[in-house]
Order: sequence, then structure tokens, then C-alpha cells
Amino acid sequence: MRAIHQSLLVPSVSAEGVLRLVALLLGVAFLALGLLLPLATMLLKSLQDRSGDFVGLANFARYFQTPALAGSIANSLTVALITTVIVVGLAFLCAYGITRTRMPGKRFFRMLAILPILAPSLLPAISMVYLFGNQGWFRDWLMGQSIYGPIGIVMGMSFWIFPHALMILTTALSNSDARLYEAAEALGTPKWRSFFTITLPAARYGLISCAFVVFTLAITDFGVPKIIGGQYNVLATDVYRQVVGQQNFQMGAVVSVILLIPAVISFIVDRLVQRRQVAQLSARAVPWQPAPNPVRDWTFTILCYGVGGIILVVIGTAIYASLVRFWPYNLSLTLTHYAFQGLAGSGWEAWTNSLRMAAAVALVGTLVVFVNAWLIEKSGGYRPLRQGLHFMAMLPMAVPGMVLGLAYIFYFNQPGNPLNWLYGTLAILVLNTLVHYYTVCHLTSITALKQLDPEFESVGASLKVPFWTTFRRVTLPVSLPAVLDISVYLFVNAMTTVSGVVFLYSTDTRLASVAIMHLDEAGYFASAAAMAVLIFFTSLVVKLLHAALTYALLTKAQRWRNAG
Amino acid sequence: MLHSSATLAAKSRSVAPPSAQPHLQISGLTKRFGDFTALRDIALEVHEGEFVCFLGPSGCGKTTLLRAIAGLAPQSEGRIVQRGRDISRLPPQARDFGIVFQSYALFPNLTVFDNIAYGLRNQRADRQRIRQRVAELLELVNLRGSEDKYPAALSGGQQQRVALARALATEPALLLLDEPLSALDAQVRVHLRGQIKGLQHRLGVTTIMVTHDQEEALAMADRIVVMNHGVIAQVGTPAEIYREPASAFVAAFIGNMNFFDVTSEGREGLRLGHRRLEGVPHDLTPGVAARLAIRPEAVRLCTEAEGLAAQVEDVEFLGAFLRVTLRLEECEQFVVADIADREVVSLDVKPGQRLGIRLPNESVRLYPAAEAGV
Ligand SMILES: Nc1ncnc2c1ncn2[C@@H]1O[C@H](COP(=O)(O)OP(=O)(O)OP(=O)(O)O)[C@@H](O)[C@H]1O
Ligand SMILES: [Mg+2]
Repeated sequence: MRAIHQSLLVPSVSAEGVLRLVALLLGVAFLALGLLLPLATMLLKSLQDRSGDFVGLANFARYFQTPALAGSIANSLTVALITTVIVVGLAFLCAYGITRTRMPGKRFFRMLAILPILAPSLLPAISMVYLFGNQGWFRDWLMGQSIYGPIGIVMGMSFWIFPHALMILTTALSNSDARLYEAAEALGTPKWRSFFTITLPAARYGLISCAFVVFTLAITDFGVPKIIGGQYNVLATDVYRQVVGQQNFQMGAVVSVILLIPAVISFIVDRLVQRRQVAQLSARAVPWQPAPNPVRDWTFTILCYGVGGIILVVIGTAIYASLVRFWPYNLSLTLTHYAFQGLAGSGWEAWTNSLRMAAAVALVGTLVVFVNAWLIEKSGGYRPLRQGLHFMAMLPMAVPGMVLGLAYIFYFNQPGNPLNWLYGTLAILVLNTLVHYYTVCHLTSITALKQLDPEFESVGASLKVPFWTTFRRVTLPVSLPAVLDISVYLFVNAMTTVSGVVFLYSTDTRLASVAIMHLDEAGYFASAAAMAVLIFFTSLVVKLLHAALTYALLTKAQRWRNAG
Repeated sequence: MLHSSATLAAKSRSVAPPSAQPHLQISGLTKRFGDFTALRDIALEVHEGEFVCFLGPSGCGKTTLLRAIAGLAPQSEGRIVQRGRDISRLPPQARDFGIVFQSYALFPNLTVFDNIAYGLRNQRADRQRIRQRVAELLELVNLRGSEDKYPAALSGGQQQRVALARALATEPALLLLDEPLSALDAQVRVHLRGQIKGLQHRLGVTTIMVTHDQEEALAMADRIVVMNHGVIAQVGTPAEIYREPASAFVAAFIGNMNFFDVTSEGREGLRLGHRRLEGVPHDLTPGVAARLAIRPEAVRLCTEAEGLAAQVEDVEFLGAFLRVTLRLEECEQFVVADIADREVVSLDVKPGQRLGIRLPNESVRLYPAAEAGV
């Protein structure tokens, strides 16, 4: 009797509890508006005709009956698969060089290898044109093949995706247990056998995860095929052509849905694999220290620095191209291309827009992502709500930028939508970019928060300190390195992204990355290169500032970190 | 059906509460995690100024009960009343307690001073007042001069004391300690044990400490709450718990205990193997199996003729006493006896030697044969 009476009692509501609930609901609403509703609208559009009547799968039927459209599936798969093989192979060798050899200058090589991430994917494409195009230095190397097409796409993508793969595989290979190798050596196992029986199996989850990440990036990338694809159509460029070129939104939605499929599959596989990898790590593993081996060490040094050299050549080409007066006829150097004269809206104005957008994404995004992660990880109660928020935070990883961008058109441009005013503003670009890159930041935050003592909040509550004070005085300062990582990640991605925002800018909010595309379309190749280089250096400066700030923080401002 | 242990346990005097109103009254408290019931129908009173230990094996629900009292993990059912105020549904902020966790949960980015002042700042006390109070607390836990250090620069024992000072800073009426000593090495532990107990005594703050170290509980507590599988097995002073364990579980969990399988024979008799033991009153129906329990230090050794015949299997030297393991000849059961050094000489205790043992009736307890959890 008493028991029943008790369980019917409503928990007493505290002001803090209410505030937390409101914050959670806001978090859910944010991702519902920024992700779920647009996606749902897009799925619906793919089942409607131009006048908005439901037609079932008719659009899909028409898609598959149009060879010019359906052919892109094979094209996309082909370039994505080839890119995956090349990138994973190269990245594995380089990661092996970093983790398992004594090659000199590892840190320098890792810095070199990160550079491609700082540029939009349009930059390598532009460089490829200069290197292998009709007037390129090395066009003979292609033996009569054109760079405009699959070859160019694969080369450009490989360059741009390489750092992502290298980071994953370096992590996977550093999780090695020296004890296994010692045991193998004691048993007289040949080196090549321990490679196949220890190294590969230990890294297999990392390899699988890496392959899927690379494949997804390759199949969803828009920048490279846009610049260098020529007549070779892929899914990402099809979405753009259908929507911007032919104003056929329904078909754009259909292609988006098809583009969503590989991304979702790879997302699911990645999640499954990640779960296993955690279980595989033994807490007592001893890190492995490679013994010197001149032949191996020099082989990998040459290989890694070869890759590093290629990266420098590609970036250098873009820089050179942006400085040359008139390629290839007048090779005198000039800064005129950086004036962007007569290119209204595609010049410095676009760069300023990008800067503002990236700063806003970094600022707002870090706050939103970290607070949401905190609500999920560190606040009690409302369990279903917190789990729902976590699930929604994981989803953006499965949604290609093109798809999200198109979904935004459908959702925010509906006449009846009260959020219609967002359309055409910088705010919608910020929202889109933030949601697009949400998942990685979310995972970084969660990992950082999990490392904190779970009782900080309890201590705060027992001392009657409101939770926001504990958040401000303890949780945030202790997680600051992760928070800085998130903000710089968001900033760099916001500077370089094309795919998400290409549908959403207006004449007033044209971005630098979009400007590259327009300049290239209009034949201002040098100016396009200049803009790409501008983005690259902007990201580089921010990245260096971040490194300096982190260093200062860890050694000076947060003295407590080295108190022990 | 079996009342013997209850009869014996009934002799234990109940400690009368010194003041009229208990500090904490818990009744009908149940906590479920999904299908799993971590606490079942807990009823408990804690008196004002008392030092109570929750003692029990790992996973028995000690922490869960402590967190329910704190409001950190609210109970599924039941009432908690603190000083006459029903706090059952209040969030932790609205309750009056200080807590020290096993991990201490010191804020790594704040100095010792700021850690201790953490709750004081919130009370909008002025700076001078805060400084004074922190100084007082540091004095109290013997950590003068550590104000500006960061937690990472302190030893485990020092961190523990900072956590204690932080919990006491706001002068809570109830202090909750979750295994506060378990992360420390043995020597520091014994030292801090005395310090905490002394501090609690001086401040008179009602304290509940969770531990799974029985020695710690026996040394520190005014009363011990022995828990098992989410229920309270016994509540009593350390002496009561040790001398008159209410169940075979408590008997086995606290200290060492010999158990013998016996069968009842008449009103005063018990059969142990071929022998009949007299003078142990019980109300068992004849022929029922039961377990006879006796502490090793209560077992007396004598010559073979004077007691139950037994053969010495092993002698362990443990400093202050010797631990002798013997095999009872009548029933092939083993018995452990802790005896003083000089008895060994007089009786010539050595492996293989045949001796007698006596089980003094006043030290013997009887428990039902089959009891869950033992
Ligand atoms: N959040 C939870 N969800 C599910 N089960 C839980 C949770 N917290 C505790 N339990 C379970 O409740 C039981 C009691 O846990 P509790 O932490 O109170 O044990 P304890 O007595 O403090 O043990 P220990 O000495 O190991 O700290 C355990 O079986 C535990 O697995
Ligand atoms: Mg516990």
C-alpha cells in the first residue's frame, strides 16, 4: 500500500532540474530542426512529383531508366573504390613508418601529412589541372589519357583524403602490444610472419574502419569531381546538376537518397567496428619500441617523405599557379590574382564571409556540442531524452554534405515554414555546417567528459553549488584542450567545405569555397587557385594559433596539469 | 521453524537512542535498477551524533543506500526522514549532508584552498570569513600551509583529508563517507582511521561510512549495519555484532568462525558426529540439522581425555598468538583454535599430536542448517 502510494508521488521539481530539462529539450529541438526534419522532408520530396503530389517510387523508376543518370552509380563506385585502395594502402605504409620504424623526423612528417585537410578539396583538383592538364608540366605521364575524368578525380581525392586515413591508421597501429612481439621473437617467428599474425590482426578493425571512412569521403565528395570531373558524372555532381542546372528538385532528391545509402552503410559498419575495437584493447598492453633496422628505416623514410614531397608539390603548384601572371605564356610572378578585380562577390568579400561563418560555427558550435555532450554524459535523469540526443548527435556522420544541403532547401524554403526567414542568411550556412560536422565534435566531447571523475557533479550538488557553476569552474577548464580541438576542427571545416553550403548561399553570403568553384567555372583559373590558397593559409594560421594556445595553456595557464 | 539463533540473539541488549528524535529515519526503502533489486525494504534509524558503518561484501548495496540518502540516486520506494523533515523526494541540493567519495573527486584545476572553499563561495560568505574558515578546516585535518597546492601535488592521504575538509566546510548535519580509506595503503589507513574518528567525535557530526573492511568498521563505528544482498542482516554495536552475530552470514563475515554440522537431540543436547554435546539450550525439534558456531579464540585446548578428541593438522605462528588447525576425530570436521604461546608449550602442540578440544557453552552459537548466502 505504502509502496504504491510512494511510487505515485511526483518527484519534486527543483529549479535546476527544470533548467536541465529545458536545455535537453533545446538540444533535441536543435538537432530535430537542423537534421531530422530536413532529411524527412527530402525523403518525402523524392516520392513526389513537381506539383507535390505523391507518386510513390515513380521518380526512382525514372532515375534507373535514364542511363545518363543511373550510370553515375557505377562511376561513383569506381572512383571511390580505386581511391580507397590507393589511400588505405599508402596511409597504411606511412602509418607503419610512423609507428613501427625508427625513421627520422616523424613529427615533421605528420605535420606535412595534415596539410591537405587545411585546404578545400577543390585545391588539389586545381593543382591536378595545372600539373597534368592540357598545358600541364607532366601531361605526358598520363600517356594520352585526359586528367579530366576518373584519373583526375582519383588523384585529387587521394590527396585530400589521405590525412584522414593516416590519422585513423596511426592510432590503430600504435595500439600494439610489445609483449606479443617479444613472445613471437622468443619462439623464433620470422618477421614477415609476425606481421601477418600479429600486426595485421591487431590493426584489422582500424583498417576496416579506415576503409569505410575513406570510401564514404570519396563517394560523397563534390569539390574534386566538380573541378576535374569533365564529362565523367558522379552522384555528388549529379545532385548539383539536377538542382542547380535543371531545377529538377525531385530528381535531386532521388540522387540524394541514393547517395545516402553507401554513407549509411559505412556509418553502421564503422559503429560496429568501433565497438569491437574498444573491447580488444588490453589495459596492460606494453607499447612497442621498434629496434633500429637501417634497411627498413630508410625504406620507410624514403616512402614517407616521398608522400610528403607530393603533398608539398600539389600545394606548391596551387600557390605557384595563383602567383603566375598568365599560365603558361607569361610566367612572371604577380599578386594581381589576389585582388580579384571585377569579380564582384567572389573576391575578398567571399573570404570575409567565410571567415565570419567559420568563426560563428566554431564559437556557437563548440558551445552547443559541448553543452549537449555534457547534458548526455553528466546530468542524471531524463534517460530516454539523453539517449535520444546522443543518437541524433551520431547521425550527421551518415549524411553527406550535399544531401544535407539539399534537404535544407526543401525544409527551410517551404512557404509555410516559420523558419523560412533563415533562408539566404549566414545563419543557415552556420547551422548547416555545424550539423554536418557535428558527430566528430560530439565524440571528442564525450571522450573528454568520460575521463572526468563522475562524482564532480555530485560533489557540487552536495555543496549546494548550482550545476552551471561546477560546469564553469571545473568541467569546462579541465576539458579545455578538447574544447579547443573541437573549435579548431569546426573552424577549418567551415572554411573548406563546399558540398554542404553550395545550395544555401545567397548573393550576400557567398563563401570563399563556393567562389573557387564559380571562378573555375568562369575560367578565372588563377583567381580560383588564389582563393584556394587563401583558404589554405587561413586554416593554417588558425591551426598554428591553436597549437600555440594549447601549448601555452598546458604549460602556463593550467599549471595544475603538471602539478604532480 | 528454527528459532534457536533468534533465541540466542534475543539476549543482545538493544542500545537505547540517547535523544528522542533520531537524526535519520529510513523506512521501506527499496531501490531497483530495471529488474534488479539492489535494496529491499530497508528500515534503519541513525541517531544524532552517531558514527554508523555500512558493512558488507562487494555489491551488497552499501553505496546504493548511501547515494539514496544523499539523493544522488533516488530510491524507487520508501521514505527518508532527516530531523523530522521528509527528504525522500528532495534533490541533493535541498538536503543537508557532506560527502566524500572513494575517488575523492577533488577538482584538479582548483587549489586546495579553492577546493575547500568551493561550497563556501556559494553561501556568499565574505572573503575574510571564507579564508578564516578554510584555515580552520586545514588546521582540523592537519594540512596547514597546503592552501596553494594543487591536488595532483598531494599524497593520497592528504587528498583524502582535503576531500574531508571540503565536505565539512559548509557544516553539514550529516557526513557521508563512501570507502574513504580504501584507496590508501595499509599504514596510512590505520593512521587516518584514528584521525577521522577523532574528528567526528570532536565535531559531533552524525556520520555514515561505507566500508567493506570489517576491521575498519569494528574500530570506528558506534554501530554497524551489516548488509547482504540488498537487505540489512544485522544492526548493532561492534561488540554485539562480533559476539552475538544474528545469523550465520554475519558470523562468517565478521572475524573468523568455526562451524560444525550438528543434529538436535532433546532439549539441551546436540549430536556432533558420535558425541553428544550437553548444555546448549535450543528449541529445535529433535533430529533437525543445525550449525554450531564458535570463534577460534573461544576454542579451548586440553588433553585428549578432557575434551573432544582431535589431531593437530597445522600450526601457524601469527605473532601474538598461534593458529592451530585440528581435525575432530569423531566427525572428520576441522576446527581452528587461536591460542596463546605458553599453552602451546604446556600442551606440546605440534602437527600430528593428539589433543582434546572444549567448546565453552557460553561462547557457542547455533544457526539454522541451511541459510542463504553462506
Ligand atoms: N546504476 C546502476 N545500474 C544497475 N545496477 C547497479 C547500478 N548501481 C549499482 N548497481 C548494482 O547494485 C548492486 C549494489 O551496488 P553497490 O554499488 O551499492 O554495491 P556496494 O555494496 O557499494 O559494493 P562495493 O563494495 O563493490 O562498492 C550491485 O549488484 C550493482 O551491480
Ligand atoms: Mg560501493
